[in-house]
Amino acid sequence: MAVLKRFTRSLAIIATLCLVATGTVACGDDTESGEVALRYSWWGNADRADLMQQAIDLFEEENPGITVTPSFQEYEAYWQKLTTETAGGNMPDVLQMDFSYLREYADRGVLGGLDEHVGGDLVLDDLLAGFDGAGAVDGTLYAVPVGGNTWSMFYNPALFEQAGVPAPAIGWTWRDYHAAMATIKAETGTYGGGNYTGVIYNLEAQLRQEGSALFTEDGRLGFSKERLARFWQQGMDLIEQDVVLPVETAVQIKPASLWVDDLAASDLSWDNFLTRYAGETDTEIRLGPVPSDNPGQLGQYLKPAMLLSTSADTEHPEAAARLISFMINDPEVGRIFGGNRGLPATNAQRDAAELDGPLAAVAAYEETIADQLTQAPPAPPRGAGSIEAAFIRISEELHYGRIGVAEAVDQLFAEAEEILEP
Amino acid sequence: MTSSTVDSARPAAAGRRRPATPPSGRRNGDPMAGYLFLSPWIVGMLLLTVGPMAASLYLSFTDYNLFTTPEWVGLDNYRRLVDDDRWLQSVRVTAGYVLLAVPLKLAAALAVAMLLNQRRRGQGFYRAAFYGPSLIGASVSVAIVWKALFSDDAVVDRLLSWVGLDSGGWVGNPDFSLLMLVLLAAWQFGAPMVIFLAGLKQVPAELYEAAEVDGAGRGRRFWSVTLPMISPVLFFNLLLETINSFQIFTSAYVIGGRNGSPAGSTLFYTVYLYDRGFTDFRMGYASAMAWMLLLGVGLVTAMLFRTARGWVHYSGDNR
Repeated sequence: MAVLKRFTRSLAIIATLCLVATGTVACGDDTESGEVALRYSWWGNADRADLMQQAIDLFEEENPGITVTPSFQEYEAYWQKLTTETAGGNMPDVLQMDFSYLREYADRGVLGGLDEHVGGDLVLDDLLAGFDGAGAVDGTLYAVPVGGNTWSMFYNPALFEQAGVPAPAIGWTWRDYHAAMATIKAETGTYGGGNYTGVIYNLEAQLRQEGSALFTEDGRLGFSKERLARFWQQGMDLIEQDVVLPVETAVQIKPASLWVDDLAASDLSWDNFLTRYAGETDTEIRLGPVPSDNPGQLGQYLKPAMLLSTSADTEHPEAAARLISFMINDPEVGRIFGGNRGLPATNAQRDAAELDGPLAAVAAYEETIADQLTQAPPAPPRGAGSIEAAFIRISEELHYGRIGVAEAVDQLFAEAEEILEP
Repeated sequence: MTSSTVDSARPAAAGRRRPATPPSGRRNGDPMAGYLFLSPWIVGMLLLTVGPMAASLYLSFTDYNLFTTPEWVGLDNYRRLVDDDRWLQSVRVTAGYVLLAVPLKLAAALAVAMLLNQRRRGQGFYRAAFYGPSLIGASVSVAIVWKALFSDDAVVDRLLSWVGLDSGGWVGNPDFSLLMLVLLAAWQFGAPMVIFLAGLKQVPAELYEAAEVDGAGRGRRFWSVTLPMISPVLFFNLLLETINSFQIFTSAYVIGGRNGSPAGSTLFYTVYLYDRGFTDFRMGYASAMAWMLLLGVGLVTAMLFRTARGWVHYSGDNR
């Protein structure tokens, strides 16, 4: 017993020493400088880290008394780390947020409400029109967009021309698109496009063109089983006609896109992906409008691609808001990042960013459809990310012919039922 | 400062190391020092193993999304598992993988170990070369290279098409993707190989000589001398590899992604577990899965031990 006692006593001493040691370090920080220290987490790579440090240096210069410690991970690792940090009550003061995760975090009360800072530390007057209210969840502002993108048609003009198919233009319908793909396959031997029915955003585009949406206001699926069956059946027809890139090929080139070996003549994706695709091929790729059966309704919207939020537990909400404001408004920051964070979300930064090459093309494209862009949907419900993944997975099994359309539809609805439970 | 105290204490301790008779008071003395030296390990075990395990066991009975406090749901998570098609799929995929990968890897390890057991020039080089893959095999880069090797029109596909087997790339083919990962595992046979090599060295040469005198051929000597003599080593390797195989993650995640692409054919248990925990925010469910895996591996291990009585022979064994 005496041994145990002595053992616990020495443990206690060690513990006390540790506490004292860490305590002094922490105290030193506070008393010596009296500074506000912010932790700022974002996803990205080393390139972006360089730019970010430049931007942070500028911020610290203009805001003496605030120091910012950045940390970053690749996208997947970022979310894993953020969830564990949040669970451990150790969330960074300012953090990069994704549209599809916004509600997940906001609903659980871990993000700081920003409304009280708007007009003060947080200036939002210069945001692009399409971004009004983006980042709000149920009426409270939890995030501010840094950049945005919109869904669009990518195409290889050379192949379109070779097949004698007119380039995508506003007014073309899904039927036109299917016919174009078939002609291109017949005339050039190259697949007309990727199988767009494997991506949920194409369903979303069609739904928005019809006046509905992917999710209802109360966070349920916004479409019927019949509607989804019709969508997926279209994909099966395209496979049968052999005009779209076969799933076997699409799967094995991942994470590269179908542009990598000029495997197909068209595909639908977020417009800022053009920079990525341009790096994968020497062939010219252009942007065009998404097909629509409803004239005057493209269903496209400006999606906040990357947002900034604060932690609900931050001790310095004002400083955090000021950092966000600086990151989205400061023209110099816009110049530093250029198109690195997607097309900037404020006019000042858009003007300051020297956009060249693909990004200039993206900006020009967004310009041409600017009056067609409709209001972005509210932040998707909790679990939207999981539904997107399930959609990819189930349509893949469908395209492999492992399940039929009816079964695929049933599976998606069953999973949505489970994922979207209140 | 501390280091100097340690240094100055050393000669004194060394001087005390071999006293003619141990001082009697010290014999039942104070195990304090022992505990103190053990404490990094004890603290580590409590904080890093026992603690998290207890926490995960608790969480497996809760609905826990990582942000809000866990909510007790009893056996709900476990009950849901049975109705979860993807869980069943992951169990099937993993079981198939273990059944294929473990025997193949062990056979490769034993075969190469027997080759390397012979005396020949450059033996050290061969041993190192064959061991190499298991040093780097679990890394992300190897998985990426492996994927490239088995893609459409890549090395493997071309070789196969020369002999008239047109597979069209294994990466995108759900019938072949699992096999690709099995081969990746078998390729990393280095660790069991080294253990086999040690076992083979222990087999007394007299036994082979006696068998040869009795007229036993190569095959007969293998079955009647080598295998029984190395059976403890074989059993050890079998256990280790089985347990390891159940936990395959990195290569599967890199090649198949979180959905076990293509068409769920590489949806391993751990991949699904990770997906559930970190992308679906269902940590309680993931914890329940982890405990079911522990239970499953435990059961398989127990079964292996049971069958081992029949075929593992230890020297000096009277049975």
